[in-house]
Amino acid sequence: MISKRFVAKRLLLLGPVLFGVATVVFGILHLSPGDPAIAIAGDRASQEFIDQVRRDLGLDDPLWQQYLRFLRDTATLEFGQSYQVRRGTDVSAILADRLPITIELAILGQIAGLLFGLPLGILSAVKKDTLTDHFSRIGALTGISIPIYWSGPLLILLFAQILGVLPTSGRIGSSHFIDSRTGFILVDTLLAGDMAAFQSAVRHLFMPVVVLGVYSMAFISRMMRSSMLEVVRQDYMRTARAKGQGAKTTIMKHGLRNAFIPVITIIGIQFGSMLGGTVLTETVFEINGIGTLLVSAINQSDYPVVQATVLVFAFMYTLVNLFVDITYSILDPRIEQ
Amino acid sequence: MSTETKSTDVERGITERIRASPFLTELLSNRIAVIGLSIIAGMVLVAVYARVAYDLGAIVATQFGTNPTEAAPSAAFWFGTDGQARDIFPRVLYGAWYALKFGTATVLASTVLGIAAGIVAAYYGDLTDNVIMRTMDVLLSFPSLLLALALVTVFPESLGLWRAVAALTLVYTPRFARVVRGAALKVLEDEYIEATRALGATDPRLLIRHVLPNCLAPITVQSTLNYGLAIIDIAALSFLGFGASPGDPSWGMMLAEGVERGLFSGSWWWSFFPGLFLALTVLGFNLLGDGMRDALDPRMRDAVD
Repeated sequence: MISKRFVAKRLLLLGPVLFGVATVVFGILHLSPGDPAIAIAGDRASQEFIDQVRRDLGLDDPLWQQYLRFLRDTATLEFGQSYQVRRGTDVSAILADRLPITIELAILGQIAGLLFGLPLGILSAVKKDTLTDHFSRIGALTGISIPIYWSGPLLILLFAQILGVLPTSGRIGSSHFIDSRTGFILVDTLLAGDMAAFQSAVRHLFMPVVVLGVYSMAFISRMMRSSMLEVVRQDYMRTARAKGQGAKTTIMKHGLRNAFIPVITIIGIQFGSMLGGTVLTETVFEINGIGTLLVSAINQSDYPVVQATVLVFAFMYTLVNLFVDITYSILDPRIEQ
Repeated sequence: MSTETKSTDVERGITERIRASPFLTELLSNRIAVIGLSIIAGMVLVAVYARVAYDLGAIVATQFGTNPTEAAPSAAFWFGTDGQARDIFPRVLYGAWYALKFGTATVLASTVLGIAAGIVAAYYGDLTDNVIMRTMDVLLSFPSLLLALALVTVFPESLGLWRAVAALTLVYTPRFARVVRGAALKVLEDEYIEATRALGATDPRLLIRHVLPNCLAPITVQSTLNYGLAIIDIAALSFLGFGASPGDPSWGMMLAEGVERGLFSGSWWWSFFPGLFLALTVLGFNLLGDGMRDALDPRMRDAVD
């Protein structure tokens, strides 16, 4: 049963959190030593022109006025225009282009993490204290210890340079032209019915997704292991065994379902490092998502883009956690308080 | 009925305390922790050796004419040379010094700030607690690397790697604050705190002499686990171009240069060795942290019994 009170409470909390997040972003941008007026006008602009730009942007207004304007613009998703990255384009248009790319990557990475992590954690728990357990635990810890900006290049070395079977960068081969309808390349190629293009997209996504999956595998398998160990000791497991059920059936039927619930919470928390991971993955594999957008915007002092991108990242993270909390409360009604 | 539950609670408390006291013995009998500790000890030796044996200026300077450019690993250049004809081996060793130095600074700073925020929040409660912890919550609603990227812009570029340290300190502080607050709240319920207060101890004395020492265990685990993360994140910021300056013998910067310029010209060694050392160091801290958690968490120990 879904508890309406719990959901309502969590939704109500969303407001203050997003308000806080926006305030932090405003604070950070105002503390930055760079001058947006100079960033727009260019280094060699005359002082009059820079002053003009500053007045136009409202940077001469008192801080509280700028803050209120910022909050209003943020609430209405009005992020202004890009100064540098794509000069004169609405930031929301740039985000609309690039956000799906990052979302697709993060979702696939998360799925890969679950596919690698859950079996590893279960295996570890079932074979507790055997060599298999030690190996998979150390394997999982190695997974979080290898930075994406090293595992990515290693995969490129192996699959692209030594074996020559996978492309190193981008999202799709240059010979394919696909209309961007949803922005998700796998969906778009399928909608276009172009199987060759779909294959190309899959081949391009393979390495980035594996790299992200290995990284999140570690968190998931560790949680799955300890949660599984906890469940195995429960009375209902003993009862199931006592009534003559085989070990495998007991674990599959009763163990997994109950052990999986706590793992869901770790997915929410770990999604933050997944989003951080997309920035690094996009950089290594030259994918034009909002991660690479943020990096180039910071490098070029493109403040509206920086501000919007950071807000969007924080917003996604908050939403995923909200979703996770609600799912958890449905699966485990005890959590209400 | 109620007295019965109470006595079992007390008994459990006592057995837990007895079992938790030989923490070091427990830790040293944990094979995973010992492997981690050995790796870290090895890296510390490498770092100190590099710091003493090499001149920083010499390993940063380009070596055109002296060394071949982008030479593969050989007897003369164990890890090969990079695009500036620099010998990669001493640079990778020196990277250990960089990683441990800046990693330690980050962990120390965020631990101290986190302890201050967490203990103050737990002790004063009410409004103070709310203001501090809600601020921490907001900081925690950012994915950590992204908050670090945004914060890095606040500090002047001339700070170099200290810029990454400053940004990551602010990013990690909330985690410590949460752990410390939780532990401190538990300690504050104990009767000896009441007794100390009755004896007239001042707030700072009470907090530093009595509350803090009893929160050290969870803080230590958090610090160890965060150490690996700090090293990986500092390198990540350098990799993305916000930290070390070009030419610096930091692993992140070497990886950035090696991936961008070496990988596609076939000079795999340029990024391979810095990455290997970085991963090994982080693995050391993660193994130790994991072992520590096992040794400290009585629930995990029960599961093993």
